[in-house]
Amino acid sequence: MSIRHGLLALLSQGSRYGYQLRTEFEASTGATWPLNIGQVYTTLSRMERDGLVAPGEADEQGRVVYTITEAGRAEMERWFSTPVAQSDRPRDELVIKLAMAVTAPGVDVAEVVQAQRGATMRTLQELTRAKRAADGGTAQRLVLDSMIFQAEAEQRWLNHCEAVLNEVNA
Amino acid sequence: MTVVRLDEVTRVHGEGAAAVHALKGVSLAVEAGELVAVMGPSGSGKSTLLNVAGGLDRPTSGTVEVEGTDLAQVKDLAALRRRSVGYVFQDLNLIPSLTAAENVMLPRELDGVRAAKARHEAMGVLGEVGLAHVADRFPDELSGGQRQRVAIARSLVGERRLILADEPTGALDTPTGDEILQLLRIRCEQGATVLLVTHEPRYAAWADRVIFLRDGAVVDETSAPAVSHR
Repeated sequence: MSIRHGLLALLSQGSRYGYQLRTEFEASTGATWPLNIGQVYTTLSRMERDGLVAPGEADEQGRVVYTITEAGRAEMERWFSTPVAQSDRPRDELVIKLAMAVTAPGVDVAEVVQAQRGATMRTLQELTRAKRAADGGTAQRLVLDSMIFQAEAEQRWLNHCEAVLNEVNA
Repeated sequence: MTVVRLDEVTRVHGEGAAAVHALKGVSLAVEAGELVAVMGPSGSGKSTLLNVAGGLDRPTSGTVEVEGTDLAQVKDLAALRRRSVGYVFQDLNLIPSLTAAENVMLPRELDGVRAAKARHEAMGVLGEVGLAHVADRFPDELSGGQRQRVAIARSLVGERRLILADEPTGALDTPTGDEILQLLRIRCEQGATVLLVTHEPRYAAWADRVIFLRDGAVVDETSAPAVSHR
């Protein structure tokens, strides 16, 4: 995933200033993905180079309005119509850690699982609180739901690890 | 105030070589207004814990107190269950030939409350769970989420402050399951106490505390952070 596609999706709703893009990006992802203004301008200038957006004239404060181009619209449509590949996601440190804990001598795997399970449950509790407190509309809610589902999947996998390890060691 | 207290509770089913130790010395105190979730694999003792806490089952050893009363000293557990403890199960247990309101009235009528008063109370608590408009429908005319909310209303009617919920979200899709937890959460904020058994982490995460059981013993416990660090 890239910031550029997110910005293109916002620009497809109308021309925007850089600072507006930053605010709207954070609002629609529920502030779960903070952007700094530098990232926004770097991305905009690369998209300008690639012909996906076009800058307007600078106003008296030096602010520039960006507009999506036809090529930009096509790129955004391609993004929405292409499923995200599993291999595009980063490797999971926890999976590697547990695999190593199982093979390395002298590591108490059950303890690694238990410590992680407690930490993941606390994360789930925090996310659930954030969801209860959220009033940012559907996009924000779905972003938080996604994080809840991911933490839940990790928790289920940890329970599964514990059961399998008990069986192997029985 | 401690609403439920378990002290070194054991529960053994059967005898001798065939004995099954469902609970092995569990101690737990749940305060008024608290939502506590119990998680654990199948056979870890979750449901036994809930049954013992609500007087549906007696411990082999150890003590269980509900609102300060030692259940071992209570002769009429059925009356205590009707007056102090509300149950919500996965399979609802609503009576199909009674309307939502009649289902909610039932425990009060069993307790000798007159029908008009019982109906008045039932309508009040159905209103609190957002179901006043379907009070006269039969269970099969309600959605799964609505049926579970009727079961929660029934568990609350008559000033009961302790709810024991065993997989109350079992058959529901996740948004509806979240609504049920939201409702239980609000009841806690209004002073009720909920002990929830679930195998789903997403629902356990609504709790103030999450207790993990394995082979009849508490293996670890997670409290929600007082403030979010995110």
